[in-house]
Amino acid sequence: MLLEAKGVSKAFGSFFAVRNADLSVAEGEIIGLIGPNGAGKSTFFNCLAGDAVPTSGTVSFDGVDLTRATPDIHARAGIGRTFQVPATFEDMTVLENVEVGAYLRHPHRADARKKAIEVLEITELARFADQRARGLGTPGRKRLEIARVLALEPRLMLLDEALAGLTPSEIQRAVELLRRIHGMGITLVIVEHIMEVIMSLAARVIVFNQGHVIAQGKPEEVVKDEGVIQAYLGRNHGKRRGAR
Amino acid sequence: MKIGVPALALALVVYPFVLNDPFYHDIGVALLLAAISASAWNIVGGYAGQVSVGHGMFFGIGAYVPLLVYQHGAWPPVVGVPIGIVLSVGLAVAIGYPTFRLRGHYFSMATIAVAELIRIYVGTVDYLGAAIGLQGPAVGRGWWDLTFRGELPYYYVFLGVLAILLYVTFEVQRSRFGSYLHSIRANERAAASLGVPVRQTKLKALMLSAAFTSVAGSLYSIKTGFIDPESGFGLLVSVQMLITAALGGAGTLFGPLIGALILVPLQAGTNTWFGGGGSGLTYVLYGGIIVLLARFEPGGLYEFWHRVSGKWRARHAA
Repeated sequence: MLLEAKGVSKAFGSFFAVRNADLSVAEGEIIGLIGPNGAGKSTFFNCLAGDAVPTSGTVSFDGVDLTRATPDIHARAGIGRTFQVPATFEDMTVLENVEVGAYLRHPHRADARKKAIEVLEITELARFADQRARGLGTPGRKRLEIARVLALEPRLMLLDEALAGLTPSEIQRAVELLRRIHGMGITLVIVEHIMEVIMSLAARVIVFNQGHVIAQGKPEEVVKDEGVIQAYLGRNHGKRRGAR
Repeated sequence: MKIGVPALALALVVYPFVLNDPFYHDIGVALLLAAISASAWNIVGGYAGQVSVGHGMFFGIGAYVPLLVYQHGAWPPVVGVPIGIVLSVGLAVAIGYPTFRLRGHYFSMATIAVAELIRIYVGTVDYLGAAIGLQGPAVGRGWWDLTFRGELPYYYVFLGVLAILLYVTFEVQRSRFGSYLHSIRANERAAASLGVPVRQTKLKALMLSAAFTSVAGSLYSIKTGFIDPESGFGLLVSVQMLITAALGGAGTLFGPLIGALILVPLQAGTNTWFGGGGSGLTYVLYGGIIVLLARFEPGGLYEFWHRVSGKWRARHAA
């Protein structure tokens, strides 16, 4: 397995945001992580990316234990992540933003710049290279985050609602980009609310609710799961359906 | 900017000859010292965004050690410069290592606390001159004592140090280290997720900054031949570095120099116009600048110029 999380729990005081969650990701997979708001997806994501240390459980990547490792160690190991709210470096140009990522594998400036330009071409951001990041709209900033992570030359990308707030045509373009990235041999784990995206991209879906994994499997099977329907539509939905 | 930098460099080189008067030479030396101190502060406070309010501790160490080696060992004060650098870098590690584990303002708070503790402690130790301070050689025993009659030699020594510091900063700015510092200032969490070793990078910046601030302190004490706790470790020393850099533009190469070009003549002006009665005006001036910067231009004058010239260019291109 490329990424393996076993029995991961994360507590804030007595409140468990994630409780005993498991995830196994094989190289080359695209996995969708879904669940209602507050289900614990982002906290679980943070545990996978090194942004939060699990209260219990383990996270390993390519056989190496990263449970307590810092985010930069995760990046070095080959895990890249985007943020729910875009965290671009606003005062830096688009090219400089991507260079920060590129420097990880290319310590020399000329090499890092070459890599950054290459990534900007792939992500169709080349024409904004000299523009400050703050000048980009939401779609541009989300795309810039993906570009930055791509410059890390990761083996696994964790995308936290990378498509939220985009228009249908922008979503279409973003999905095409994610397909291209997957085509480059990069494994994807996607947290997403837009089910059409999950259905079209993910081979396997994991559903979170109240900190637990409540279902997992192929997207078309998961959406029919009674527990998943109840989590999304409410406890009484199933009963009402049964009464009809 | 292409013409601006050589023009500024030329202006600084010919300044003592154009305004050939001890009063103006004195202002020139004070200006360069302020520019060196603020540029050194700028490496960690500006580029890395880790605001130190206690950089006086490094300045003070750099200022004390040359006069200590002279007074207790009769060595040339210049021997104390590298020792001051080593001690300052050691102190930087001692402060930065624990505080940079945390995000937020812990570093700023630690720097104020340590600087004040050192100032108070130094004022009680006889070996360090206690509250009276230390003196350097009144008359030089040789050129190596760097005791000159006029201000002119100091002016060019200071100018040389400033040139070296700006060159080092320029190289830092365009390197991976500089890119990492910028990313940390912009968003520490995102920087870490891109493989930036946040803690080590901040620590390296603080060490480099402390080394140059220490040199600034040494230049000060060697030139004046005197140091006491207040003029070495005082809060005003730290605040002056911060204000000078912020006024010109923290996190920019020439921001601190621009800040010094405005602030030092302004201070000299208030001192001349109001005499001894205007000594407290420095604090009023600093306070006023902080308020104006926070309200109108947090990026400093460099950012203001960048914005205005950008608009001007856009208007004339249209």
